[in-house]
Amino acid sequence: MSRTSHYEPTLCPGPFAHRAPARRALLKMGLAGFASVSLPGILRLQAQNRLHAAETSGGRAKNAVIMVWQPGGLSHIDSYDPKPLSGSEYRGPFDLIDTKVPGLQFTELLPRQAAIADKFTVLRSMRQSAGGHPAGSMQLLSGDPDTRDKPKPRYPDWMTVANYLRSQSGPRETPLPTYVGINPPLEYNGPAYLGDAYSPFTVHGDPNSPSFNVPNIGLTDTREVQRLGRRASLRQNLDTLERAFDKAGELAALDEFETQAMTLLTNPQTKEAFDLSQEDDTTRDRYGRNAWGQQLLLARRLVEAGVDILTTSLSGPLCGRVNNWDDHAVNHHVFDAMRFRAEAYDQAVSALIEDIYARGLDQRVLVVVTGEFGRTPKISYAASTGAGNASAPAGTQQPGRDHWPRAFSNIWAGGGLQTGRFIGATDKRGEDSIERICGPGDFLATIYYHLGIDASKTLIRDFNGRPTPIVDQGRPIPELIG
Amino acid sequence: MSHSDCGAPRSYHFASAFVCGLLAFSGFARGLDSSVTAAEARISFLNDVEPVLTKAGCNVGVCHAKAGNGQNGFQLSLLGFEPLEDYEHLAKESRGRRLSTGVPEQSLLLLKATGTLPHGGGVRLHADSPEYRILRDWIGQGAASDIEQAPSLVNVEIIPPEGTMPPKSEQSLQVIARFSDGSSRDVTRQALFESNDPAMAEVSPQGNVHSLDITGKVSVMVRYQSRITVFNATIPQGASVNSLPEASNFVDEHVFANLKALGVPPSPVCDDATFLRRVTLDIAGRLPTNDETQAFLASTDADKREQWVDTLLRSPEYADFFAGKWAALLKNRRDDTSDMVANFAFHAWIRDSLLANKPYDQFVRELLAATGTVIGNPPVAWYKRVKEPKNQLEDVAQLFLGVRMQCAQCHHHPFERWSQDDYYSLAAFFSQVGRKPSGVRDEDLIFHKRGVAQFVNMKTGQPRKPAALGDEIPEIAPDTDPRLKLADWMSSPTNPFFAKSLVNRYWKHFFQRGLIEPEDDIRDSNPPTNPELLAALEQHFITSGFDLRALIRAITTSHAYQLSSIPTPDNLNDRQNYSRYYPRRMPAEVLLDSIDQLAGTQTDFPNLPAGTRAIALPDNSYNRSSPFLRVFGRPEGESVCECERVQSSSLAQSLHLMNAPDIKAKLGHANGRAQELAKAESSPEEKVRELYRVAFSREPRSEEMTLALEYLNEPRTKADGSALDAQQALRENLQDLIWALVNTKEFLFNH
Repeated sequence: MSRTSHYEPTLCPGPFAHRAPARRALLKMGLAGFASVSLPGILRLQAQNRLHAAETSGGRAKNAVIMVWQPGGLSHIDSYDPKPLSGSEYRGPFDLIDTKVPGLQFTELLPRQAAIADKFTVLRSMRQSAGGHPAGSMQLLSGDPDTRDKPKPRYPDWMTVANYLRSQSGPRETPLPTYVGINPPLEYNGPAYLGDAYSPFTVHGDPNSPSFNVPNIGLTDTREVQRLGRRASLRQNLDTLERAFDKAGELAALDEFETQAMTLLTNPQTKEAFDLSQEDDTTRDRYGRNAWGQQLLLARRLVEAGVDILTTSLSGPLCGRVNNWDDHAVNHHVFDAMRFRAEAYDQAVSALIEDIYARGLDQRVLVVVTGEFGRTPKISYAASTGAGNASAPAGTQQPGRDHWPRAFSNIWAGGGLQTGRFIGATDKRGEDSIERICGPGDFLATIYYHLGIDASKTLIRDFNGRPTPIVDQGRPIPELIG
Repeated sequence: MSHSDCGAPRSYHFASAFVCGLLAFSGFARGLDSSVTAAEARISFLNDVEPVLTKAGCNVGVCHAKAGNGQNGFQLSLLGFEPLEDYEHLAKESRGRRLSTGVPEQSLLLLKATGTLPHGGGVRLHADSPEYRILRDWIGQGAASDIEQAPSLVNVEIIPPEGTMPPKSEQSLQVIARFSDGSSRDVTRQALFESNDPAMAEVSPQGNVHSLDITGKVSVMVRYQSRITVFNATIPQGASVNSLPEASNFVDEHVFANLKALGVPPSPVCDDATFLRRVTLDIAGRLPTNDETQAFLASTDADKREQWVDTLLRSPEYADFFAGKWAALLKNRRDDTSDMVANFAFHAWIRDSLLANKPYDQFVRELLAATGTVIGNPPVAWYKRVKEPKNQLEDVAQLFLGVRMQCAQCHHHPFERWSQDDYYSLAAFFSQVGRKPSGVRDEDLIFHKRGVAQFVNMKTGQPRKPAALGDEIPEIAPDTDPRLKLADWMSSPTNPFFAKSLVNRYWKHFFQRGLIEPEDDIRDSNPPTNPELLAALEQHFITSGFDLRALIRAITTSHAYQLSSIPTPDNLNDRQNYSRYYPRRMPAEVLLDSIDQLAGTQTDFPNLPAGTRAIALPDNSYNRSSPFLRVFGRPEGESVCECERVQSSSLAQSLHLMNAPDIKAKLGHANGRAQELAKAESSPEEKVRELYRVAFSREPRSEEMTLALEYLNEPRTKADGSALDAQQALRENLQDLIWALVNTKEFLFNH
């Protein structure tokens, strides 16, 4: 309608809108979501919304994010936020090294990142309020302020939110899915009320292993491909349901997904995107010939091929005995563990960052490396519960660090962000963030900003139809986005 | 953990709201008397200024509503329900810098609203608008509050309250407000309008309704201050309805009367095969078997459809299917291995209740007032999952009354008449639920705690006695379990919600769209599409003694339910009047069972006897071991809302059906249907016919038969290029044919 008004349309979509996803209503709300919009409805809206998205997202509608996750939480003191002047019961054994950025020092564990510190920014003043892995992960990834651990997330994580919003803004131009997880951090997170349709296409396993294979994409057995083609064409001939009822486009949506699935299964391009053997040896070596290195290389490869949202978790044997970063003394000798994983970590992360810039992806692709919290600045001692990598035999007293949400660090690269900086600070022992304190809301709003999503204006309806903001409190971190 | 918890810090700050409320009270009444001068056109804060702020959208969620955190620290109550607080924030907070009584035009409020200063919300008012002048003049007059003195709003009337609007026509609405001093005025300009279905009718901010070309009932909610009222429009199709199917019962009378009134001709009644498949899926959650299909199609009994409905309603699969539906809504969830006992007991209780056709009011009463342990009295399990009185009242209201109370915990429900007092009065019914350890780990014994039932309204700090959504409840003695009184109130024949909510929920189960939609959101501002039909269903249900089977029988034996899904040119646009059947994808469990049935296989679930069907699973834990159920959206029992079940399509679903290992294994199973048919002596034609009867409950059409036979006869080769022997080739081809049938829309959808 072209009736003029002194009033702009209100952003809050009101009680009814989710029932009838009228194109106008969707546009009015600036992509304020409809949790219960049917996919067909969404498909119908796409063309229109693509235009809208391009107008409102400042050209960021095709941007991508790689999130590298440190499950269990990185000891900030022993990495990006060392505290050489604190007492020996805090400090840890590592020497400091200068980085390429004047005034910024890391521990000796991160020489390769130190050498390219101008290509990323360290945020040293993260803070959240949940001490457990589940609640901590949910705080960071879905912005749920609840401090209690619970079995399932109450809010969708940013990855599914972004996938959901992207799915409304236009058909894919590549055969690859919007959201891919390579051993992703999904233990405590997920789509909540958005539904599993927005979960990632997930790849498990060690991409460094010669037997690494991604099921359900690019079938290589030509007989299998032929058979699938035969089946599909037989299906097409037999699929005779009278379609006139499909006013809402449900069948059309199904057709579209079937086509996409068929493409994933048979298109050589998808196979190629997942095929690390297409990378030259120098590159593969640069990332490190281990699971983490090749995970991050695969992440870069996929994002380059058109994936928008990519998460990958640095877990498994490279972490030490318990396969994660949860360096309680009972699990790991924290310093042995940090040393044990440092080389693979430093190599993979620095390679990814360098590569993003070298390949001209640094505007489109944001790389963020984080865990759910930091580790206790004060060293604790307890008996190991078992021998293994980075852990002494059971019963041996060893140093550990426990969960620490009050202060932790993460790093940001690419994404057209301002790099070569460090933002915020913790106190002299690294116990509390004291300058430019950033919470999960700021973390999330920054990621959303890069993806062209205005977190302050986007609401998605929960199961009750209640419009729920995708970020509770927080705004894009100004020092990062410039 | 409830998704709906509006107390979640994400959207709400309780403590601060409470404190601000008190401050507002003590601060303003005295301070402004002196500034009040008798003026000719006094602008009222309450009746002029607040409505302008609301209309301009200042107090909605993402802007300055407190419920949305209030951008830049400027917080208003959601939609202006709390004028006292709003006045405080506007006039007093930030050292009064938002208003400049000396130079009104320089008030931050106006500079921001007009976009003179950068404003995140953009330009909300133009300086030449009457609304701007209201704010400016009010500030100029001293920015006084008249909340205590101003006449209060008594009611809001809309003119006209209803009307018939041909497609693409216009209707202007006028809104009249009446006040406590007897005065009334036209507040059309200040009122907010919202269409409940913008695809059917749009409404401008000035109250001009514009109908589009979808037929049916649409409403426009009108809000002025805290009052809402509704304009109901009927958009007729106006086609001539020459022939209607014969009415088989009251359902048909009302559906067809509505279609006739709207001028929407229905599609014809569907054929036997379509009916058989449809009703078997809807009542028993499964496909008819090959034998059942043959017998039904061959039968010449005039009442064979009614007979089949009765057969289904007596079958255990009916109880399985509906128990699964209820178990999810009643949150029969396994969060820990130790929940298993409670999960099994609760599910069995639900299933047995359905199998015995326990009257629905009794079912709800046993659940609501459950005491004891989960072993002795399984519905106690509900109190295990839903622990807090607030969650209990919210779930009970939404599930059994179709009323969403979540919002009213923290603020006046924006589209409803429910206040925080109503909320806490309902919570009071659950205030005397006692629990103590039962001796079984993680299982509480639930008992009635003697005492006076009451619950403190967190906003006012005042305790509330039990009262049920507007109805007073007589004093409840300390030794009476208040939950019994709630159950009495609910199951009374005059209860406006209880029967309505259930019949609407069940109607949706069979017709894919509730008469009220969403099915659990019954409110004045969300009227039913066919009120007469809803009332008749309600009456039928009450009169039958809350007989669920009788209700399903009335629905499924109606001709309205049996209409073809194929539209006619004149009913293609209909989506709420049931002029044709609206197809829907099978639910996850039903689809999995159906694939097993067609493939001649079964799915194994941990700790359950072999052959257990997916529709008979007691709780959500099996979703973990079955990627199929997860991908196709089987609910986790997290929410009391049926919307947790996802029935839309996704890429993962398509990938799964095409290539997932479990599907491949079913097709290639050594005892599967493809193997058996390949070995069988029967003719190729007979094999194809069997597959069609199982998949679609019909015989193949001749062109389908030709295509299928051609395919079955194609030779196949081994990897080395040599020919596969005939039986092996046939087996592969049969697998392909089953794959193709599973992947058709005709299979995936109930139509």
